[in-house]
Amino acid sequence: MSAGNAIEVSNLTKYYGNLLAVDHISFGVKKGEIFGFLGPNGAGKTTTIRMLTGISIPTEGTATIMGYGIQHQSVAVKEQMGIVPDVSNVYNELSAWDNLIFTGKLYDMPKAYRKSRAEELLRMFGLYERRGEKVQGFSRGMKRRICIAMALMNKASIMFLDEPTSGLDVQSVLIIRDLVRKLNQQGLTIFLTTHNIEEASQMCDRVAIINHGKIAAIDTPEKLKRTVESLQSVEVAFETTPSGGLKDLMGLPIVSDVVKEGDKFRLITHDPSSVLASVWNYAQTNNLKVITINTLGPSLEDVFVKLTGIKLATESEGMKMGRGSGQGMRQGRERQ
Amino acid sequence: MRETHKGHLGREARVAWAIAVKDMLTYYTRPPSLMFGILFPFSLFLSFSIGRTAPLSAQIPVLIAQTLFFASSSIGPVVIPMERANQTFDRFLTSPVSLLSILLGKTLAGVVFGIGISIVPILVGLIFFGSQIANGEALVACMALSSIGFSAMGIMFASIPGQSPGQVMMPLNFVRIPLLFISGVYTPVSELPSWGQVGSMLSPLTHTIELARYALGGETFFGPLLNISVLTAYTALFLFMGIRFHIMNQRKE
Repeated sequence: MSAGNAIEVSNLTKYYGNLLAVDHISFGVKKGEIFGFLGPNGAGKTTTIRMLTGISIPTEGTATIMGYGIQHQSVAVKEQMGIVPDVSNVYNELSAWDNLIFTGKLYDMPKAYRKSRAEELLRMFGLYERRGEKVQGFSRGMKRRICIAMALMNKASIMFLDEPTSGLDVQSVLIIRDLVRKLNQQGLTIFLTTHNIEEASQMCDRVAIINHGKIAAIDTPEKLKRTVESLQSVEVAFETTPSGGLKDLMGLPIVSDVVKEGDKFRLITHDPSSVLASVWNYAQTNNLKVITINTLGPSLEDVFVKLTGIKLATESEGMKMGRGSGQGMRQGRERQ
Repeated sequence: MRETHKGHLGREARVAWAIAVKDMLTYYTRPPSLMFGILFPFSLFLSFSIGRTAPLSAQIPVLIAQTLFFASSSIGPVVIPMERANQTFDRFLTSPVSLLSILLGKTLAGVVFGIGISIVPILVGLIFFGSQIANGEALVACMALSSIGFSAMGIMFASIPGQSPGQVMMPLNFVRIPLLFISGVYTPVSELPSWGQVGSMLSPLTHTIELARYALGGETFFGPLLNISVLTAYTALFLFMGIRFHIMNQRKE
């Protein structure tokens, strides 16, 4: 691992009683990058962030943030970071202004500086006009913005964001993503946990996929996608959706799986060009008019599904039914 | 460039004070604070005093001690579970300040509440029942040590994992109420059997009542020096245990 890393994690482990929540994970986050921490529910994302930010004490292992040890130099570590937890933990009884001022006091910022910083941030987030109102009357998106503003009060070097856009309306999501990018461009290192694979793919320089407390993969989104080349696909839409199309397309050579996505079929294959020809023949034979046909590379979602072993409930049920009725494993599936 | 004040101790003190002020503004008027911190001691006192032959003025030190005891020890068990529920307690754990200063800030909120409420019975005694302060230093020591000690006791109990004040208040009251019976509230220490006097000596509330009585010109059984020593020891113990228990929580969380 590089000495210039913003975060260095070595063998970090957390037990809850006998339950191993985080299993000896090690990774590094480079200065100035947006690092995504991706995983299903209960994978260990929030536990990791809670250990790195000092809320929880690790059972084993060490981590440094900007060169300071999280356990023995915790005050120095906490000076370096801003934290946006998964829940907007603002003080509902206080006004927007008082929330920021109190945060400034926790960081022991001088009075004049914390006032000017609070004003600057409230203006930046479009909340200055409502600074005197109690936060309990704010919408979820506004509370999220206040929470991020509080995390920015101390001009941190690293920002931890735990599911920052989860449960927000589209406008708030776009505002927050844009803000995160701008902060990163200004030099802030971002540690982002998310369920949202598309968000991770669009925003992160590198992504770690965590599952059952272990790091399953860590790389740039594009390199991760390349690890599952076998998951390339052909996407086709016909003018009229053929009855039995799912089963027919599944029977085409070198198609390993077919997923029906709305009015489109997605044929998973390692050889998209051969499948293109087969689909064309199938359309002509069955008098079907092709509206669109595309070849697609694997998505980060494909990588995620493959590495975490997550299966759709309907898929696993379908497999069981297939076995039971003697129809074999290649069933195809329908995605809503 | 980050701008902060210089000086580690000064910084810790300022942050602790900021936490205390925030708690005062936010939690003093919450129903659990009012019920367990004000209503509870006054109700207990009235139910105990009405019908007794002893003059009410003689009971003023007991009322002062009870209000100090209940009011100071109630703020931590109200504030911390509510902050856990809102996850705002995590804000303190992630801010650049020691756990000691966080808990001292929380303790300070209880201290101010306890002293503020117990000033009422002092004024009532002075104005309406002819009580006189015979020893001002003893009264100051009584108020300061008792409020810090009992507030720290509340903070220690607030380390019990829970997200509602009731989850902490119930075990706390299992300790607070039995202490009333062995601390000279209902029966003077001098009239207790010897084992009862030993138990009484070990109760911090005994020493608060004794110091309050001494400050208002009454007599003490154990003497003010022992009262102050025991209260000081309990204050240190509660603060130490409170920190240990909160660290244990962080290991479990």
